[in-house]
Amino acid sequence: MIQEAPAGGTMQIEVERQIGENRRELVLNMGPQHPSTHGVLRVVLTLEGETIVATDPIIGYLHRGVEKIGENRRYSQFTPWTDRTDYVAAPLNNLGYILAVEKLCGIAAPERAQYWRVIMAELSRIASHLVWLGTHALDIGALSMSLYCFREREDILDIFERFCGARLTTNMMEIGGFSREIPEGLTDMVEAFLKKFPAHQQEYSDLLTQNPIWIARTRGVGIIEPEAAISYGLTGACLRGSGINYDIRKAQPYLVYDRLDFEVPIGTRGDVYDRYLVRMEEMRQALRIIRQCLDQMPTDGPLMLNESNYVIPPHATVLRTAEDMQRHFVWVIKGFEAPKGEVYMAIEHSKGELGYYIYSDGTNTPYRMRLRTPDFVNLQVLPYMAQGAMLADVVALIGTIDIVLGSVDR
Amino acid sequence: MSQNPAPDAGTPPDAQETTQLPALDTQVAAELAPVIEPATDQTGVQEINPVWVYSGYWGPLDEAQHPAIIGLRAQFGDAIEEVTFFRDEVTVRVRTEQLAEICTFLRDTPDLKYQMVSDLTAVDMLNLRSEPRFDVVVTLYSIPRRWRLRLKAGVREDQPCPTLTTVYAAAGWLERECYDMFGIVFAGHPDLRRMLLAEDWDEGHPLRKDYPMRGYKQYVQPGFTGAAPRIRETPREGA
Repeated sequence: MIQEAPAGGTMQIEVERQIGENRRELVLNMGPQHPSTHGVLRVVLTLEGETIVATDPIIGYLHRGVEKIGENRRYSQFTPWTDRTDYVAAPLNNLGYILAVEKLCGIAAPERAQYWRVIMAELSRIASHLVWLGTHALDIGALSMSLYCFREREDILDIFERFCGARLTTNMMEIGGFSREIPEGLTDMVEAFLKKFPAHQQEYSDLLTQNPIWIARTRGVGIIEPEAAISYGLTGACLRGSGINYDIRKAQPYLVYDRLDFEVPIGTRGDVYDRYLVRMEEMRQALRIIRQCLDQMPTDGPLMLNESNYVIPPHATVLRTAEDMQRHFVWVIKGFEAPKGEVYMAIEHSKGELGYYIYSDGTNTPYRMRLRTPDFVNLQVLPYMAQGAMLADVVALIGTIDIVLGSVDR
Repeated sequence: MSQNPAPDAGTPPDAQETTQLPALDTQVAAELAPVIEPATDQTGVQEINPVWVYSGYWGPLDEAQHPAIIGLRAQFGDAIEEVTFFRDEVTVRVRTEQLAEICTFLRDTPDLKYQMVSDLTAVDMLNLRSEPRFDVVVTLYSIPRRWRLRLKAGVREDQPCPTLTTVYAAAGWLERECYDMFGIVFAGHPDLRRMLLAEDWDEGHPLRKDYPMRGYKQYVQPGFTGAAPRIRETPREGA
């Protein structure tokens, strides 16, 4: 049976095909409006009975041309766009971009700002993992997990709100550090979260880790062999779940990660269950990192780099000195001219390696802005994982990659 | 049940190849690092804070000491056209026809093992030079060495680029995206379709420099009669 091609379209999908005596193949379209595809992912599945023969993920329904926009905006103007790529972990996206620009310009933020950046990045990692856990468990059938996870995520969003005024699209990091002082009471909020969260995480663990239904749905499902994980360029928990020890915070430390003591969880079997354990442990390690940052952080000191070429001048002196007022005016109206050159800066995002490649021709806009988002590369492994799996496992496989379509489509 | 912690999360892998990492050569690398001058202060009044610190994450910044460049020069000779350093990054410009062989060599040589492709993209050099128009940029990562390496290959508009899908599985979607955004054809790619744009998109390739920011066509919202608000764009010199 051949389906008529839609007017104007070019694709003809053979819906049903006889491949032998009593054997038929069926093409099933899943998405883009499907609650368990985490956004607008469309997957064209070829089935034989309930077994998956072939998978073709079709993406781009949320494509906004962020890279093109980046090439037409000044360096300081692009930070808000990074929020909107992976909107559940906006501070991490800000961080990757800001570090890339700082590397291009050859500057670095003061120590205290670096510690606060790490705290916000790790809080963001926990928030992102909570969204992942809630939706992943919801897909598999544990409805209450999503309610619990979003409850704790609320506390983190409150911290973000106190810190920068926004909850979701934070636009938090700035070139050179933070231009405003840390709000009063923020440290107490973080301390309270650190105190409260381990008990809540134990709740999730109690509900899922030994749960026979959860184990039946996840263990031995979606196994990625280590060689395949490397060849597919997987990063984050997808790679570490398969037993490969690659965490950019350890392998190529940035900010102050080389001074912090934390461990990188590694899976052994490379299945959905291992990736669940890896992410759960990453949340515990993130708490350790935040604890150490609060203890090690210098109590006072500058938060913003005092530098005249690439950094916005401090607000106080802008209102007092003519030079800083002029600098401020030029920085806002014209932007700064970055050095000629190209940089690739990768950070460990909650989903894997988030890389920003900037090619600068010496003007005030990047000549080429490239976002290497982790979930775009990770999603490519879905056909490999789904080969021979059951139809009901597809939602578990999509959930385990941890995708956000804003980041996949850019 | 509540007393049981998660079973084997956090256990280090036993006898994994990746755990036996050679010691990082940062000492040598740091000695070879260029001195980055602090940005000059225009007013001459303020004190400049410490600058960005050299990391050594791309290997030594010296052609004679970088094992990948030594190996490539010995194996491929003229195909290695240029080696450039910026910040701590190492960029090797290679002959386009031999890109796949060079990647295979980098992946399989025991003391290099650039087994992972971090990123594959292109740059449209339309405003910066005449020929070739595109640069295909491949960023590789070596898990044992913990180094990155960037390969660049110039591609003319009418010239196909050899595919890397035979070397790295990750190149499949990255090359499809590259074709979608720049129109670069990867010869030998098994499934070269549009990636992010619709498959019947007929307006060309949007990341080319001659593609207007807001597209070629004017899309009018149904029922909307007023003039569409336009964001002011920063014109680029020579664009």
